[in-house]
Amino acid sequence: MEKVIIIRYAEIHLKGKNRGYFERVFSVNLERALKGLKHELHRLSGRYLVACFDESRTEEICERISRVFGVHSYSVGLSTGTSMGELFAAAKEVCPKEGTFKVDTHRADKKYPKTSMQLNAEVGGYLLDQNPALKVDVHAPQHTVFLDIRENGTALVFSAFEAGVGGMPVGTSGKGVLLISGGIDSPVAGYMMAKRGMSVELLHFHSYPYTNDGAKEKVKELARELARFSHSARLTTLNVAHIQEEIHAKCAAELNVTLLRRFMYRLAERFARSIGGQCLITGESLGQVASQTIEGITSSNAVVTLPVLRPLIGFDKDEIITLSRKIGTYETSVLPYEDCCTVFLPEFPAIKPKLSFVEEEEGKLDVARLMEEAMASREVYDLSED
Amino acid sequence: MIYLDNAATTRPDEGAVEAALPYLHEKFFNPSALYGGGVLVHEEVRRAREFLLSCIADKARYELIFTSCGSEADNTAIFSAARRGNAVTSAGEHAAVYQSFTELKNCGVEPRFAPLKGDGSVDGEALLSLVDEKTTLVSLVHVNNETGAVNDIASIAKAVKSKNPRCLFMSDGVQAFGKLLFRLTPEIDLYAISAHKIGGLKGTGALLKRKGVSLSPLIFGGGQEGGFRSGTENVFGILAFAAAAKKKFMTLESEFSRLKTYREQLSSALDKGIFTRISPKDGTPYILTVAAKNLRGEILQRLIEERGVIVGTGSACSSKHPTSRVITACGVTKEYLQGVLRFSFSPATTEEEVIAAAEAANSAARELIARTARS
Repeated sequence: MEKVIIIRYAEIHLKGKNRGYFERVFSVNLERALKGLKHELHRLSGRYLVACFDESRTEEICERISRVFGVHSYSVGLSTGTSMGELFAAAKEVCPKEGTFKVDTHRADKKYPKTSMQLNAEVGGYLLDQNPALKVDVHAPQHTVFLDIRENGTALVFSAFEAGVGGMPVGTSGKGVLLISGGIDSPVAGYMMAKRGMSVELLHFHSYPYTNDGAKEKVKELARELARFSHSARLTTLNVAHIQEEIHAKCAAELNVTLLRRFMYRLAERFARSIGGQCLITGESLGQVASQTIEGITSSNAVVTLPVLRPLIGFDKDEIITLSRKIGTYETSVLPYEDCCTVFLPEFPAIKPKLSFVEEEEGKLDVARLMEEAMASREVYDLSED
Repeated sequence: MIYLDNAATTRPDEGAVEAALPYLHEKFFNPSALYGGGVLVHEEVRRAREFLLSCIADKARYELIFTSCGSEADNTAIFSAARRGNAVTSAGEHAAVYQSFTELKNCGVEPRFAPLKGDGSVDGEALLSLVDEKTTLVSLVHVNNETGAVNDIASIAKAVKSKNPRCLFMSDGVQAFGKLLFRLTPEIDLYAISAHKIGGLKGTGALLKRKGVSLSPLIFGGGQEGGFRSGTENVFGILAFAAAAKKKFMTLESEFSRLKTYREQLSSALDKGIFTRISPKDGTPYILTVAAKNLRGEILQRLIEERGVIVGTGSACSSKHPTSRVITACGVTKEYLQGVLRFSFSPATTEEEVIAAAEAANSAARELIARTARS
């Protein structure tokens, strides 16, 4: 009898011929999540099994599994032989000592000499004998003891399902570039896309010397936190200080942020194309700030051809904060920092910038040269090695 | 690299590091232990304590309690002394005192803050007017860490005691110890100091306490430091503290006049069209604080660092708090409020360095003005 963790996956079962591909990526992601912890990962039909681990670290393993996208649910249980004695012992071990219960058997091994109904009755009877405080209720039991009779002469016995994080295995839905600022929203946006299986590359704009290295360190910390889910912690930074200076010097003050965001989108697109990225991801939420009105978004969107995914567009700030707390980035996000957008912040930013006016003002700038300069400031940090 | 942020911390003195090393190697013993090594170390800690005490106080009247830092010394004093009624301090205190006073509200004690003059020293009359028969503690920083202004704590303590003899008077002396010629007068009950500001190591501070003043400890345990501060003594830090202080007090007067000359040289070399001086002429010679008009200190600091000079700013590194509480309390006008720079010196500071620092500051400020101009 050995302690095991049974992992069931979400949505992958909906896949047809490319199911094998999804399963392979999923198992690579599970291995990454469990890196550094002694274990063996086995693929069974429709599920995975973690075995040979240090039982004193079961909670830590479960916590890591609970963060892997694609996990529908998992159970800590026992792997044992299929003799009645072994099934009895395992069932007794996992079954609570009191309350109502039932036994639910699933036989993958159809040659097993007893039917599911017979096993339910015999194991249930044994448990009743052993624990007088138990009572059978087959309709609405407080506890269910599951017996899973496998084809290889083993059985999995467990009594509880823990919910996984759901979603699709990261890496099965292409690659996107997340514009990460250091605030609350963008890490949540990255989480949402990683949840749908997207590999997320992080791009941060800073404005040295107007912003400090503390802001960059904070984004690195957010990248590490996000990597707990996305398994990728590569952060690229670009300096937009000179772009801001030029905008400030030559263009209408109320368009400072609008024009800067157009540069950010352009730079993000160029960066995305250089690394095989297929879309941009932003934490924009409609109407949250002046640059996130539909006019502001239109103005930024006009300069790129890659799709821009905005998973938070319909979310209220409260909802975003709740998610941020859930994924664990909130505490870092709310640390004070300097956002490069605030450096030359006009008193009254344009809330509904007209595209024609924006383009006219931008015409005063040497966009190509400024882009080249900013791209040349590129720095890359691989935070997974930390 | 020229380092002029010595008020934040200063490079440990070589002699102090040397003095610490034996206690990290062969003399590693616990000073509370009863065998030979322990007794020996205990005796050396006792000597260091006596020496540090003798630097500024009468050994017959005061005792010294080692702590982990100046902030712990401040906290121990404040939360012991302010138990009821009200407690008076200034708006120019270090955060260790200011935040503790703010916390006193939750302990049922009314905190009162006296206003500052333009140079960062307290308005003494205003402070006295806040003291009444219900005042249990008055705390006043000796040297303002942001502007370098010196408060005449001896006179103010005397005036406070003549108004309310029962209240306790404490002072945060972290920027004064080893840098000002000064001895504790009988009206000063408690005085906090720190090692790493004078060439000692981080992790060591002390609270000087007039004998007879009763303190309640923040940390309970084995009863070290006369029961006022439990926890095994930081022996190497304490011995390094004593060694650093020894050197500092030997050269105190010569350093005072040397650095005063440098401070004035630096001050006059700064571009008057950009910088205005906040530090007073009669302040500590170790600090020169200035403010640049319509520029941000943090950005200037980075541009100055690019030129090979490290200086401090007067503000917290946060866009949410771009201005300093203390500098604001000095009444500095809006256009200068965000542009604070603090140059602070050490025995290692040279004349060439202060001149280079002034040039770096001028050139950085000019660059920033050019880069942020609107055409």
